[in-house]
Amino acid sequence: MIESILLVDDEDLFHLVFEDACSLLDISLSLQSVKSSDEAAGMFKKWYENHENDQKPECVFVDLNMIGSSFDGIELVRKINFEYGNHVIIGIISSSNDSTEQAKALQAGAQFWLVKSDEIEPRLEEFRKDYEGYKKRTQPFKIYR
Amino acid sequence: MIILSDDIKKQLIDLYENKGVRIEGNIIKLLDTTDDPVFEEYISKCISEDKERQKKRLDITKQVQTQNNELNNLNEENQRILEELQQSLKDLEDQRMTLEVQNRELNEWKLDNLRLTEELQNEMVNSEKSRIEAEEAKRHAENDLDFLQKRNQTELISIIVRVALWVIIGVGFITTGVYIFTLCMGKDTQVISAAWSNMFGILLTNAFSIIGTIMGIKYATKDHS
Repeated sequence: MIESILLVDDEDLFHLVFEDACSLLDISLSLQSVKSSDEAAGMFKKWYENHENDQKPECVFVDLNMIGSSFDGIELVRKINFEYGNHVIIGIISSSNDSTEQAKALQAGAQFWLVKSDEIEPRLEEFRKDYEGYKKRTQPFKIYR
Repeated sequence: MIILSDDIKKQLIDLYENKGVRIEGNIIKLLDTTDDPVFEEYISKCISEDKERQKKRLDITKQVQTQNNELNNLNEENQRILEELQQSLKDLEDQRMTLEVQNRELNEWKLDNLRLTEELQNEMVNSEKSRIEAEEAKRHAENDLDFLQKRNQTELISIIVRVALWVIIGVGFITTGVYIFTLCMGKDTQVISAAWSNMFGILLTNAFSIIGTIMGIKYATKDHS
């Protein structure tokens, strides 16, 4: 079970869906949701500057495009991986299945790409199975369609 | 894992059995149930009910999300239609403005045309007046020329007549003088008398002929003047 998850998504309703799905599948003990990449970047910046690595979530799911954010999900992944000290399992969760964006995400350091849809549970189930590999950094970049 | 005392476990189980109140949320997953089958059953029930409730909530949330997406799509479609309508309205307004400008230009042209037509009509009237005046002047000039010609003719005729009359009168006087001189001198007048009478007759005839001609000319040119 993942100890803590941070979901960065501008859609409030998806926060509820994701939370319930995670709870039903016993994926995570705690889940925090934020609505913008700026807010998430602010949190990681603070943790990095204050050396509060224990405050960081274990896994981060980032939406690709967020209304009201000054940069997109891929840029947030890049910032977390290359500016704020990494130490998290991070990936994109998006309704898009664009291979160009997926290549960009991989380049930014994303470990997975989970396609958002009505039936998210089977993908989360599969993700849970691969999670240990992500933790050990042995699992290659994977797209959950 | 969290280990609860037997007393607390009993209180929790009693609360659930008597009042249906149970613990819920992720905290359940952290409670230790080792070596306590009753508490384990209680926790299983809590987890099961929790999952059932979460599943129901998830289904509803998904439905709401679907409806929300549909509404968003409809809203986007409405927005698109609204933008199209606004664009159409803007185009119409632009066309109206263009038409107004064209209409204004046409009105200006129309006014110019009317003014030009009026000017042309005035010019035509002036031209007609000028033509009439020119014709009048031409007629006057022709009349003057005719009159001048006639006067010259009359003057010429008058001179001719005067000269002719003087010639006749002169010839008459000379002939008459010669005849009287002959009579006074007592010479033979047979030839001269015959010549005088012939001459006189011819002169009178010519004189009357000339007078007749003059009168005829005057009569003939009387109406034209």
